[in-house]
Amino acid sequence: MAKEKRVRERVNWRRELRLAPGYIILSLWVLFTFILLGWVIGASFSTSREIFSGTVFQFESGFHLENYAKAWSASNVSVFFTNSLVYASISCAFLVLICAPAAYVLSRFTFLGNKLIQNGFVAAMGVPATMIVLPLFGLVAGWNILNVSLANRAVLIFLYVGINVPYTTIFLLTFFSNLSRSFEEAAAIDGCPPMKTFWKIMLPMAQPGIITVTIFNFINVWNEYFMSLIFANSDRVKSVAIGLYGMINSMRYTGDYAGMFAAVVIVFLPTFILYVFLSEKIIAGVTGGGVKG
Amino acid sequence: MKKNKTMIVVFLAPAVIMFCIIFLYPIFRTIAMSFFKIEGVTDAVSKWQFSGLANYIKLFNTELFRISMWNIFRIWLFGGIIVMGLALLFAAILTSGIRFKSAFRAIIYMPNVVSAVALATMWLQYVFSPKFGLFKSIGELLHWEGLAKFQWLDPSHLFFALLVAYCFGMVGYHMLIFASGIERISTDYFEAATLDGASKVQQFRYITLPLLKGVTKTNITMWSISSAGFFLWSQLFSMVVSNTQTITPVVYMYQNIFGAGNSMTERNAGIGAAVGVLLSVCVVLIFVVCNKVFKDDDIEF
Amino acid sequence: MKKKMLSALLCATMVAATLAGCGSSGNQPAADSGTEAPAADAAEGGTEAPAGATGDGLVYWSMWDAAEPQAQAIKQSIEAFTAETGIAVDVQFKGRTGIREGLQPALDAGTNIDVFDEDIDRVNTTWGSYLMDLEELAKANDYEATANAGLIAACREVGGGTLKSIPYQPNVFAYFYNEEIFKEAGVEKVPETWDEFLDTCQKIKDANYTPITNDNAYIASLFGYHMSRLIGEPATEEVVKNGDWDNEAVLKTAQAYEELASKGYFSETIESNQWPAGQNTELAMGTAAMYLNGSWLPNEVKDIAGEDFKWGCFSYPAVEGGVDGTEASNYGAQVFAINAKSTKAEQAFQLITYLTKGEADALLSEMSVGIPADTSNTEWPTLLTNVKPVMDSMTTRYPWAAGAEANADMTPIIVENFTKLCGGSLDAQGFVDALKAAGN
Repeated sequence: MAKEKRVRERVNWRRELRLAPGYIILSLWVLFTFILLGWVIGASFSTSREIFSGTVFQFESGFHLENYAKAWSASNVSVFFTNSLVYASISCAFLVLICAPAAYVLSRFTFLGNKLIQNGFVAAMGVPATMIVLPLFGLVAGWNILNVSLANRAVLIFLYVGINVPYTTIFLLTFFSNLSRSFEEAAAIDGCPPMKTFWKIMLPMAQPGIITVTIFNFINVWNEYFMSLIFANSDRVKSVAIGLYGMINSMRYTGDYAGMFAAVVIVFLPTFILYVFLSEKIIAGVTGGGVKG
Repeated sequence: MKKNKTMIVVFLAPAVIMFCIIFLYPIFRTIAMSFFKIEGVTDAVSKWQFSGLANYIKLFNTELFRISMWNIFRIWLFGGIIVMGLALLFAAILTSGIRFKSAFRAIIYMPNVVSAVALATMWLQYVFSPKFGLFKSIGELLHWEGLAKFQWLDPSHLFFALLVAYCFGMVGYHMLIFASGIERISTDYFEAATLDGASKVQQFRYITLPLLKGVTKTNITMWSISSAGFFLWSQLFSMVVSNTQTITPVVYMYQNIFGAGNSMTERNAGIGAAVGVLLSVCVVLIFVVCNKVFKDDDIEF
Repeated sequence: MKKKMLSALLCATMVAATLAGCGSSGNQPAADSGTEAPAADAAEGGTEAPAGATGDGLVYWSMWDAAEPQAQAIKQSIEAFTAETGIAVDVQFKGRTGIREGLQPALDAGTNIDVFDEDIDRVNTTWGSYLMDLEELAKANDYEATANAGLIAACREVGGGTLKSIPYQPNVFAYFYNEEIFKEAGVEKVPETWDEFLDTCQKIKDANYTPITNDNAYIASLFGYHMSRLIGEPATEEVVKNGDWDNEAVLKTAQAYEELASKGYFSETIESNQWPAGQNTELAMGTAAMYLNGSWLPNEVKDIAGEDFKWGCFSYPAVEGGVDGTEASNYGAQVFAINAKSTKAEQAFQLITYLTKGEADALLSEMSVGIPADTSNTEWPTLLTNVKPVMDSMTTRYPWAAGAEANADMTPIIVENFTKLCGGSLDAQGFVDALKAAGN
């Protein structure tokens, strides 16, 4: 991370020139991204006819804010948002509670089956969700609880948690193994039992890793599609991705392209804003920068 | 050590129990289901009809399934080459000491956090449109007939369009992993090489690449995982009726379980299960090969 | 670095996590994490949502998406229904995708659903075993007095001889065209035979319009209708199901479309048209003249086409030496059905009756530019004036796509190759060869 501190150095034009191809490539990519998003936002304020005739940015017929009003009110967007927010927050909390202790134990102690569990978790990350959804649906459906929206939500959260357990555990495992053992040793000398040591010392120390993995889990659960498609039976428990899919579908059936793009923007915006504030943290998480705390 | 034992059990139990419920049990049940003819996915075991390998045989004899396997393979291989190539290139540029590094990085990674439903819609309904699409406009701007007139969405190019759109979203993530790998390489190597008169490109070839084995393994593993579950993009690129260019095994499976398109068709959850099994076998194979090629390197995040 | 970036959003989560950690102070820490998740979830989840299915009302799973005019009309009528009868109705607007994929698993899973709706064939065939027999209820309520006899008969036919579904929003599958373009091109009479059809296309092309467009979602119908005109629908279905691509009708159909393609009668972008691109950007925008689709089309594109778009309609033309003529097509309706396990059949039928008759039916017809189901609602929406004669002339009923989509494993392959045929990148023989190759 230290490298970034050098940004303020004087412009060395020869050096910059040598890097020019790099700048050009990245700038083109970034420009493309901006045009893509810019157009979609423009289109969302336009009308379908204007979109088709390629005159999105002239706004001849004015600014059509009503696209948003329509997309919002027609599809209970606020319900989807609340649902996804609740699912994501609760799942994230449970994931930390379940995975942090497991990751800690796996990283610290050698015991029979340790490697097996680790390998099992890594392998589980590669299992297509569809492979496991079928039997689970059969099972859950048999309990006849999907009619009760509270139970339905609980099932969804349980699934979100379960499906992310392997990833979260493996992520935190790498993190814990990078923490020095001297803390536990010191605690042990002070007579602190290992479990207490974990909750009082090690877990707080793992905070950066936990934050990062939580951000990831949050985004994963927020955008999750397949599970919700099959398990979210009623409009009341639908999540954002499914809601958006429905919105897009109905906009297609009514030929309302402007409304469709407005729906896209509505769903896109919260994650985007979150990302603007958290991008450094998220990126650090991917690159293992979080490990360095 | 006795205390540790209880601690190990208590700490591990929730995660392992979850793992068994969400992964182990369904996997075994799916494997079992693949040998039966099952009409509804929720049918009780007593309604299953044992059919041996019939599901698998039917799958291998179905052109559409073979196409779907071929598609997923193409996505994995070609998409993998494109994504890894671009990701490595971008990572190399990012770590070459350019300005605005974090801004570039953040923007390139951004599509990863956006709902795929939104992303796919942008591409399908806007970028590729033959009437008002972005590529058409760019082609017209540059007086490049080939691009302006290119029919992205016709049956001969739809797969290519899907690949481009999907890769666009995936590059960022793999770029970050490569970039972090490069940053972890000690600068001493490069300084020594510069003194010996090695060019930047040579340094990249002889120092950076060999030292990136670990992260490359991570990248390939993660790429394989995301390819295997390829579903949403495929579904969004073929609303109402599926088509040969974008159908993937998961979509095929889904159709067999929940029924397909406008027409009424027969359902067989057993076939769906067999698809899942075959797909998982492929993932496992890739894992094994990956482990053989990159022997000693642990997965690095 | 450590505590700097605790994001606002994650605070709650993190606090919860750390609190749980501290609070347990080492005695039985895992007790927290080990608690069965669902139970704990339920406790937390309970604070934020009103309880789910109320239990005493009707549950209706609708095939419409909430933003569609059909949904809005139905919603309005249901409110009136509840106000009048005191029967609460929980409507779930699932949309086409949602109900096609979700209904059956939900029914299997024993979800409380009393009423659902979809296309007449899908409800009666695919979901046939979940339907309640409605003969008694219909008789008791004298339902058929003002119902469309033809459609009720169709429902009985697909229901295996007994009435298991109640039709509404009747529809017919035919060529829909832009009257302005026909007028400008000098086409005075709608084509009834293939030769007249070719002639019409040429006139339109001479007037600088695109004669025909379509989308990937409906293009297989072109194939199906032509085949069925030649050899009848049951034979077409056999061909598609058994992969009998050597049947000479296949090549004949392909040749007919090769001719259309080579004469430039199809839209330039026909191959790239991902539904709903063609119907919106070409037909509704007034650059293309004809589109083979259902009578729901004017409604779907009405926001783009505008108020003064003049819709014309004609049945798929007859083919020389063919079995079927213009009297055959896919005509039918959306239908309501009652879940066989429903405990509120009486009320459910009351709701269906309410929605398919009188004011509610008229409202639906008006708002969604649909054909009324109640025969006492004689006024059709103006946009559909020209559809009435076509609807009335139908005597033979095809299933969806006239059998072209009867084999799900083949549908994508037919669609792909037929699209190429229409776009000119494949010739008739190439089309047949491609299908044959796929059949092996």
